[in-house]
Amino acid sequence: MTTSGISRRGALRMLGIGALGAAGAGVLGACAPSGAGSPSNGGDPKSKNFDFTSWSLNEEAAKPSIEKIIAAWEKAQKSTIRAVSYPYNEYLSQLTLKLGGGETTGAVHLDIAWLAAMAQMGRLADLGPVAGKGGYTDVALKSGTYDGTQYGLPWNTGSIGVIANAHLLEKAGIQKHPTTVEEFEAALRELKGLGGGVVPYAAATKVAQLKDIFPWMQTFGCKLLDGGKVTIGDDASVDAVTWYKKLHDDKLIAADVDRFDARALFGQGKAAFYDDAIIGKGVTSAQSKDKTLADAMQPMERPVLKAGDTPQALLWGGVIAIVKGKGQDAATEFALHTTTDRATTSEYFAARALPPSTTAGLAAPEVAKDTFTTEWTRKITRTATGSPFWQFAQNAQIEEAVAKQVQAVLVGKSKPKDAMKQAGEEAAALIKR
Amino acid sequence: MTSTTPTPVSAVGRPQPSATRAGRGTRRRVRKDLLRSRIAAWSAVVVIGAFGLLPVYWLLATALSTPESTFQFPPKLIPTDLTLGNFTALAENDQLIKYMINSLIVASITAVLSVIVATYMGYSFSKFRYRGRRSLMHLVLASQMFPQALLLVTLYTVFSSFGMLNTYTALVLSFTTFTMPLCVWMLKGIFDTVPDALLEAASIDGASRWRTLHSIVAPLAAPGMIAAGLFAFVRGWNDFIFALTLADKEKQTLPPGLVSTYIGEFQTAWPQLMAASLVVSVPVIVAFMFLQRYLVGGMTAGSVKS
Amino acid sequence: MSTAAPPQKAPPPRERSGGRLSDGAFALLLTAPGLALFAAIIFYPLLSALFTGFFRQDLRLPGREFVGLDNFTHWLDGDFLAILEQTLIFTVGATLVPFVIGFALALALNTGLKGSGFLRGLFLFPWVIPGVVVSFLWMWIFNANYGVLNGVLMEAGIIDESVAWLGRPGTAMLAVIVTKAWASFPWMMVMLLAGLQTVPKELHEAASMDGAGSVRRFFAVTWPQVRGVASIVLLLEFIWNFQHFDTIYVLTGGGPAGTTETFATAVYQTAFKGFDIGRATALGGLWMLLLLLLVAVYLRITERKGDA
Repeated sequence: MTTSGISRRGALRMLGIGALGAAGAGVLGACAPSGAGSPSNGGDPKSKNFDFTSWSLNEEAAKPSIEKIIAAWEKAQKSTIRAVSYPYNEYLSQLTLKLGGGETTGAVHLDIAWLAAMAQMGRLADLGPVAGKGGYTDVALKSGTYDGTQYGLPWNTGSIGVIANAHLLEKAGIQKHPTTVEEFEAALRELKGLGGGVVPYAAATKVAQLKDIFPWMQTFGCKLLDGGKVTIGDDASVDAVTWYKKLHDDKLIAADVDRFDARALFGQGKAAFYDDAIIGKGVTSAQSKDKTLADAMQPMERPVLKAGDTPQALLWGGVIAIVKGKGQDAATEFALHTTTDRATTSEYFAARALPPSTTAGLAAPEVAKDTFTTEWTRKITRTATGSPFWQFAQNAQIEEAVAKQVQAVLVGKSKPKDAMKQAGEEAAALIKR
Repeated sequence: MTSTTPTPVSAVGRPQPSATRAGRGTRRRVRKDLLRSRIAAWSAVVVIGAFGLLPVYWLLATALSTPESTFQFPPKLIPTDLTLGNFTALAENDQLIKYMINSLIVASITAVLSVIVATYMGYSFSKFRYRGRRSLMHLVLASQMFPQALLLVTLYTVFSSFGMLNTYTALVLSFTTFTMPLCVWMLKGIFDTVPDALLEAASIDGASRWRTLHSIVAPLAAPGMIAAGLFAFVRGWNDFIFALTLADKEKQTLPPGLVSTYIGEFQTAWPQLMAASLVVSVPVIVAFMFLQRYLVGGMTAGSVKS
Repeated sequence: MSTAAPPQKAPPPRERSGGRLSDGAFALLLTAPGLALFAAIIFYPLLSALFTGFFRQDLRLPGREFVGLDNFTHWLDGDFLAILEQTLIFTVGATLVPFVIGFALALALNTGLKGSGFLRGLFLFPWVIPGVVVSFLWMWIFNANYGVLNGVLMEAGIIDESVAWLGRPGTAMLAVIVTKAWASFPWMMVMLLAGLQTVPKELHEAASMDGAGSVRRFFAVTWPQVRGVASIVLLLEFIWNFQHFDTIYVLTGGGPAGTTETFATAVYQTAFKGFDIGRATALGGLWMLLLLLLVAVYLRITERKGDA
């Protein structure tokens, strides 16, 4: 087997050039703004059949009740809905890729925190004309708005707040919910005194959920964003993180906790407080051996810095947005029906404890008689606000940048002041991009 | 790489012990040695067995526990309230079966395709000398190190523009990005062990080069091809991000399927996830129990002599 | 071959298919399907992606803007070295740990223990469970608040309170390496065992007769025989770990505070969580550059040893 021949060398070179050429052409092709001006993802807007994309469509807990809604619609309208889903943690990135690639059409379930990022892609339909028909609450309607346009029909509107375990508080001799940060910290120390591995406050300490610290920053007086300027890094934010670090070092909060862990701890009766959305009650009590836990769970106003301040809470919920193009009209009708039909929302509430977004839905006896929900609405959702960063497409990055800095403080890699200064700078840079 | 390094590894040239020195004393020592090595062997098996199999035990224990007892701390090492509920629930889960079938199909086709293509390429790299051969070989090797995430964006765009998203083809092709380099490289090593004299003999006998490859060399390398295929299969079986991105529910494979079913917005369903993982892994484990001799035979044919 | 060679005059009639081609052309033809696949699914996407590194591009939005080397300097001024260091720590750790475990197990099983065939099969289990499940299993074991590891250690009195294995910079990397090691030691074991089984028994016996202790026998007899397999196994595992993604992504997502971030996770997170394709591909480009350097150095070394 000998080597020979210029021809071979030449051939190889040709091959290389060919490959490069092909690649180059492809690169140039990729350069062209793919579908820059295309307003829709194609297809017939009048089609009766459409896609419905939701992360809940695969999850065991949520799947049956949503499938029921879909089946009912398919039967009534004699149409087919193609169910699409991605794992929750990958949902936003997958949806982004697929919406951009023209793959996603129809109705799309979105967390309200993601709405801006999706809306900016310019492929979501303006639902303003439809939304008026829904009888949604103001707060709910607002959660589906980005830049003055109604992009989402609110499905569930709630908030993320603090849940307390009445049993544990009682055991530690705490008579009433602490209302100020000072009282809160004192209560945590009492609870720590109970021993037995109690984590008084199962606050988020993993990056994935460290955005839970934003309401605390706000509690300490940091506005996060003031007239377009990021204020993370100001004294209030440093105070908040210093306080968080103190709780961490004194083991009043635990390391490596995300929402799942918090629920598990709370479910074991090992945590007296934790942050969760309103749905948390059902999830947490379901995985607890203690069947009395559900009754001991109480929504609590987030403690404030000084008496009289407004308690901070983060708005939380889901909306259904519609992609322009194939099946747009039918999908819109479906979204409207799903989010506003009283029987549907009541049944969905019964199955998943997610509060409806319409005034009528909230007033329905099935919902109104649930004291946890009404109390939650009164104590937490009432003062809840969206994160000022949601309006930016880079929201997820901003949250992560800040979370990473907070985590650096918690693990002792950085000082609160430096970390918050850097977090603020990173957030500002991200907004500018 | 290593296979190109001419380091003849054989006992030839090693100091050969002389049998004459073997006396009664040494024989006793040999027996003692044997005992000692038995003890060492067993302790290694026990220690590593603990590391290797306790997690499997825990997986099983978790799969058999009720969701409520899952989050207890300290955990019960021997679960008391056992349930088969997590397993029986699987029988009703058509979607999971679909994921599993998809996984089997995609991983198998990937393996076969990679092996076929790699056989030719590996043979060329092994038995012919031409300019650019080494560069190509190293490019192939290095391409195993390319970040998947980097390829993913473009692959998505390409498949999308050809209307190939949500097809087995897209999954197979994307998996081939990491299985083919491996197979080429493994098979080249295996062909290296086929003596050139054999090929020359075939040529003198009048066999064409195609025939030589197909009827003489390929059968010799068959165990190696099976081994390479098994590796490709496992790699395809394991992939998460390509399958997640390039396929929808209908064509998705197990890893993203399991994650989206059990790791949700509000839940981490450990017991159910573990039960499902166990069930879907069983067929593969059984298959590997039977096929592992190829893994062994095939790889050693290629690598030991390298 | 002159005119006076009648027996070899005509080419054998059977040599049809490849008969017209020169050896080199034949060799190239063999590589053609492979090269075509490579070009289509590896090189083209790669080049296209690398090209993107010079642009500011958002995954969500069409269009892009040429920014020169901005994306590259972003990393070089920032986390590049940290990520490189962490990638190397992970890669080396996740290669050596399972190697040592796999080798020890192979040596043990090679002594002819009863049931070693069955054991070998059993130990394959970690290798064939889907990788993400392995990660979730270990995430569950390492869990700070209800994980079994903390439970066992606490009951044994080794620790007083829960350790956040995945939440502390040092232990997080360790945990990731252990997890990856668990998933890879089985195949390394199988390969090494296969290598060991080719070592002739007589060699051992002879060396033993010769009075060589087990350590000396290992280095004099066993090691030279399995060196080939060992180096292949190490090289492959090293290569795979270098771009490994799942384990780290699932277990720590690169945290805490970025201390387990490797190239693979950083590229993915930047592209798919931050939507910043420009920066993601720029990091990929730097990584490739590094890789090319490594390969070039490697080529230099092996070329010097001969073999064209």
